Amino acid sequence: MSALAVYAPLLPELILALGAMALLMLGVFRPEAQEEAGRIMWLAVAVLLASGFAVLQGAGKQQLFDGAFVIDSFGRFMKIVVLVAAAGALVLSFDEMSERKALKFEYPVLVLLAATGMMMMVSANNLISLYLGLELQSLALYVVAAIRRDSTRSSEAGLKYFVLGALSSGMLLYGASLLYGFAGATSFEAIAAAARSPGAGQDLLLVFGLVFLLVGIAFKISAVPFHMWTPDVYEGAPTPVTAFFASAPKVAAMALFIRIVISMFAGVQPQWQQIVVFLAIASMLLGAFAAIRQTNIKRLMAYSSIANMGYALVGLAAGTVEGVQGVLLYMAIYVVMTLGAFAVILAMRRDGTAIEDISELAGLSKTNLPMAFAMAMFMFSLAGIPPLAGFFAKLYVFMAAIKAELYTLAVIGVLASVVGAYYYLRIVKLMFFDEAGQPFEPTLPKERAVQWVAMVLVIAFVLPIISAPLVEAAAAAARTLF
Amino acid sequence: MSTDVVLLTLLVVLPFAGSIVAAFLPTNARNAEAWLAGGVALAILAIAAYFFRPIARGEIPRVEFEWLPQLGLNFILRLDGFAWSFVGLVSAIGLLVILYARYYMSPDDPVPRFFSFLLGFMGAMLGIVVSGNLIQIVFFWELTSLYSFLLISYWHQNQSARDGARITLTVTAAGGLCLLAGMMFLGQIAGSYDLDVVLRSGASVTAHSLYLPTLLLIAAGVLTKSAQFPFHFWLPRAMAAPTPVSAYLHSAAMVKAGVFLLARLWPAMAGHDYWFWVFVPLGAATLLIGAFLALFQQDLKGLLAYSTISHLGLITLLLGLGSPLAAVAAIFHIMNHATFKASLFMAAGIIDHEAGTRDIRRLGGLFRAMPITAVLAMVAASAMAGVPLLNGFLSKEMFFAETVESHVASALDDALPFIATLAGMFSVAYSLRLIHQVFFGPEATDLPRVPHDPVLWMLLPIAFLVLTCILVGIVPQATVGAFLNIAVRAVLGDATPYYSLAVWHGFTPALWMSLLALAGGTTLYAVMLRYLSGDVEGAPILRRLKGQRIFERAIAIASWRGAKSLVQSLSSTRLQPQLVLLLCVTILAAVWPLYKGGIDIHVPKLHEIDTTFLLVWIVGCVCALGAAQQAKFHRLAAVILMGGAGLSTCVTFAWASAPDLAMTQLLVEIVTTVLLLLGLRWLPKRREETSRPANLFIRARRFRDLAIAFIGGAGLASLSYAVMTRPQTFTIATNFLEKAYTEGGGRNVVNVILVDFRGFDTLGEIAVLGIVAITVYALLRRFRPARDSVAVPEQKQFQDHFDAEHDALSKDTISAHYMIVPGLIMRLLFPVVSMMAVFLFMRGHDLPGGGFVAGLTFAIAFILQYIAGGARWVEARLTVLPVRWIGFGLLAAGGTGVGAAFFGKPFLTSSFQYVDIPVLGRLPMASALLFDLGVFALVLGATVLMLIALAHQSIRVSRASSKAVQPAEGAV
Repeated sequence: MSALAVYAPLLPELILALGAMALLMLGVFRPEAQEEAGRIMWLAVAVLLASGFAVLQGAGKQQLFDGAFVIDSFGRFMKIVVLVAAAGALVLSFDEMSERKALKFEYPVLVLLAATGMMMMVSANNLISLYLGLELQSLALYVVAAIRRDSTRSSEAGLKYFVLGALSSGMLLYGASLLYGFAGATSFEAIAAAARSPGAGQDLLLVFGLVFLLVGIAFKISAVPFHMWTPDVYEGAPTPVTAFFASAPKVAAMALFIRIVISMFAGVQPQWQQIVVFLAIASMLLGAFAAIRQTNIKRLMAYSSIANMGYALVGLAAGTVEGVQGVLLYMAIYVVMTLGAFAVILAMRRDGTAIEDISELAGLSKTNLPMAFAMAMFMFSLAGIPPLAGFFAKLYVFMAAIKAELYTLAVIGVLASVVGAYYYLRIVKLMFFDEAGQPFEPTLPKERAVQWVAMVLVIAFVLPIISAPLVEAAAAAARTLF
Repeated sequence: MSTDVVLLTLLVVLPFAGSIVAAFLPTNARNAEAWLAGGVALAILAIAAYFFRPIARGEIPRVEFEWLPQLGLNFILRLDGFAWSFVGLVSAIGLLVILYARYYMSPDDPVPRFFSFLLGFMGAMLGIVVSGNLIQIVFFWELTSLYSFLLISYWHQNQSARDGARITLTVTAAGGLCLLAGMMFLGQIAGSYDLDVVLRSGASVTAHSLYLPTLLLIAAGVLTKSAQFPFHFWLPRAMAAPTPVSAYLHSAAMVKAGVFLLARLWPAMAGHDYWFWVFVPLGAATLLIGAFLALFQQDLKGLLAYSTISHLGLITLLLGLGSPLAAVAAIFHIMNHATFKASLFMAAGIIDHEAGTRDIRRLGGLFRAMPITAVLAMVAASAMAGVPLLNGFLSKEMFFAETVESHVASALDDALPFIATLAGMFSVAYSLRLIHQVFFGPEATDLPRVPHDPVLWMLLPIAFLVLTCILVGIVPQATVGAFLNIAVRAVLGDATPYYSLAVWHGFTPALWMSLLALAGGTTLYAVMLRYLSGDVEGAPILRRLKGQRIFERAIAIASWRGAKSLVQSLSSTRLQPQLVLLLCVTILAAVWPLYKGGIDIHVPKLHEIDTTFLLVWIVGCVCALGAAQQAKFHRLAAVILMGGAGLSTCVTFAWASAPDLAMTQLLVEIVTTVLLLLGLRWLPKRREETSRPANLFIRARRFRDLAIAFIGGAGLASLSYAVMTRPQTFTIATNFLEKAYTEGGGRNVVNVILVDFRGFDTLGEIAVLGIVAITVYALLRRFRPARDSVAVPEQKQFQDHFDAEHDALSKDTISAHYMIVPGLIMRLLFPVVSMMAVFLFMRGHDLPGGGFVAGLTFAIAFILQYIAGGARWVEARLTVLPVRWIGFGLLAAGGTGVGAAFFGKPFLTSSFQYVDIPVLGRLPMASALLFDLGVFALVLGATVLMLIALAHQSIRVSRASSKAVQPAEGAV
């Protein structure tokens, strides 16, 4: 059995993969029963939490499969965020889907499979395991986007996402093959060693490989100009699915992004820095300006997530320990804010139909004050106004950028967040000051639970008791990459 | 020391704690709320009093808590003299406002909200003041914006309150974000965010190259907060707030935060010309515009708001001058302005409360109705005008004196005395107007209520403030001297100049300016009186220039038109443009490094290329292009052209001495092409519109797409070429070539890789292949072909028609005689092709062949039978069980792998030896052969299963259509 003990660090991934298959089998034999699907969804949450627990048990740095799979505290941090995000999104889905009698057992199973892929992305230390994880995640997501087969919008969203995603995956793969051509090896270490050799920055193979690889990943985190799918998919996919899309996959892709540029391309920092700076600026600006005009709250959240990825990239552009720490914190806080906001969006329900128009939020404070307050907190936090968590998220990344002397980037970031503040505050104004319309249906318990948990976290982040462990963990995680 | 720590912490914590408690008191608990809030303010005042002695001795009490240690940020509270004076101001005026508010708020108003927000605001304001850390200042700064938003919108049923609150928040929060960036820059320049360190590093800050952006960003924060031109418009709008809020936020506290910060950072940043050129022009402009506009306001609170703007402009100007004496004047004026303006706001609130209107034109002769209020307001307004023996006179005279001094040699500096006097005139005029039109003149008759003096408790705060104005005005040194001194010392340190607080300085230019302003202002008012009593709304010249409207217009343009065009030009919900963008950006990203670095592709010389080979490739490329071009219009042609491209690949392999690859490629091409063609039968008809579209735009778009596709393809091709022609020192291929025979026992490297080196991969791949076949089968079982593809093919219809006309005896000749000769040959070929497959399989390990190839070959044998005889004919004569073959294949391959375990070897270890077999001779019998057998069975099964799925389609469809179509045919 000692041969198997080698694979002990793989336990979280094994739990997920085996859990997904077991649940699939369970679901296949009772395909039509709603209660069964509900039970599977809870079991899936349990699997995610079990996996998270297993992640927490790990310590130190290990490599498996000849270094193709690395387990370190960076990975552990991101994995916990991914798992929490996925579990949160699943919990959120429950009310909405059972309300519409649209619970499908395939959904939690696909989420588990996607989560497995994300875990692999986070831990990938080799071009091949990178691609494997990415595709495992993407394929599950393509299906999830189109999970509501009878809805044209959902199917369209799935199809678009698939076509564009396949193209970007192709580019990523192409970049990977160029890098292999450059270094003659697929492991990150070997490529990093080759990239560190003098004159590597001028080697076109490396540069092209870098460009194509980053194009593929930029698509996954929906950075401008690879963002176009995001609003469509967010709008088209069922809202619980959108909540999932907006949280976990972003974290995983960002983890991959960080690991690639920091550990693989450390030697050619000027080259990738240019790209990251460009992506960050474009994402922040477009996300901020384009969001203003949206009337659909899901599209607004799509642009908000685009802008947020831009802010996170500001930290990454610094390329320092502080920068990476900032990105990690940013992603963690982003997930909490996003899930909270989506918990509110999901609760916008009237006569059994979901409402997605922003103007329908008008006067929410009069009909449902707790929900309006929670949403206001998420909006203030997304706008980066103290004392909420979003302020600290921005503070960390901007601070890192300034320390790395990326002044222009920091200024543009701040200006973009001024614009961003405008449309977030517009929602607050709408909820608190405008004439109340028809009240929504009462918020369902699980949605309310997520709203409250997220809100408390967003508010309480200012207390060192809450924030210090997270900050500490992020710092430790960031240091392992350098 | 520990008492200091506790008290200093309490200074910030107490208001917030009070705020939370206040929020949970019952709605109508006005007294409890007021006691609580008043108690908090009193406690803070007491704490301030406790600290006065040590601070006067020059100590700076300081507490530090760990906050964001990773960023080197600690939560620092430090109370120097300047901060102390603000703490005193904020808490004292806070206390008075609370007392006032107790009686101002009506019993219907939900007071817990009001007092909770007010205390929260007080906490945030105190937080700004005592922060010892740049980021911490921003933190509390934004908190004050939030609380002011909540306070202004207190009466949110009121449209103007909502708009005012929103504009205030938008402007100040946005400014706060700029300030955040500025502070981060400043911290970066100074090397620390600790305020003490920053204040000490003035020289390095002003010399730094980042000074200008830092200054601009901080200025954006300061100017928005202190309502300075061009951001002044939010303050009049914020007057929709309850009057206690205006008295507090818009006289003493929030708007002072901006100038507070300016004074706070003065030691670190003032020593630069840019400082002068940013703050002096804007301060002067605000001073003038504010005073000018204030004169023409018809709303009492609007007048006060514009006057506040003007006075803040004065302070900004003073601080912008950069001279220590000016800074003294600024700090002094901050204090004075707070006292007289707060009392004026409260008086305005009382008038509004009692008379029911704030419109100056409707008010008049109130002196008789409310004499006490009138007297108090008149004194305060005189202080505002700068009448001697009141506090406003002192600081204003200091201001006039400072403007006369020379600072930066420029026209602006020379013009300052005139600007100051002019602004002074307007200031006198509007103060006079306030006094005259409200309290004197004809008695108003149409007031909504009958005015009278309010309860004593409401007058008390005003009286206290007015008394302060008078005392400070008469005996400044004795009353405020000590306080001003510690505040000034804290800001200026050793640079503190000598200044005199005396009332009489002799006949200085400043005195003449004061007198001129008083006289001029009175004249101005007398001249303008008629005009002002008329129906004018707003100022004569600047009426059209409404900052707020410009702001809203700008926001509308940026947010709606700008965002609209951005969204329209940069995003699309259609897939095609999205793909185009994705591709274009990638191409650009790839071209960029090329443009910068150039590329060295090894371009082959012409004579190195074999002409025949080149021709093969040209044919292949043309085929591929043709396939792409025809994909939309003519699927059959596209599939066949694709086959052509595949063939040229196949020839390439053969050319490059890789017969095994060539063979595999060839078989794959054949099988896939045939299967595709079979499937094509059931797709809807090709689209007919192959002719060129008439629309020029569409043609241009297609041409653009073609160009993009071409560039992308060519780029990929050339890059691939560049990669593949790169000399590689070591590749895995060498390793495989070397070890194929010695360790795998085979000379066919491809086969050895498949079944041995990468056996595990192959196992996975064949499993996937099996799954795919079953999926295809399952999907096609439910497949319903398009309506237009169900009918009998055109050619056959034609033939049937022909037969029916010419040979009525033998119907359906086409079925009877269909392909007799080729069919016979195909049937006879079955054993031959099968033998061929076995042959390929057996030789596979050493020579081109192997399980995969053999499986495909055998599948071809079946395909031929199905084509020649039809599904029914074949299945009547042969038992075809592809699913079992698939199962057997997987089991065989997996079993071989597991078998290795019996010999104590890891999974899929292979062994080989040569065995003499009768007839066939000596053959290599590797265990891999068994594995290969599995591959063979599975490939065969999978291919045939797909074939059957397609073939049965025809049976089912003709069955279905014979039911559906027949009656229709009968009708014809």
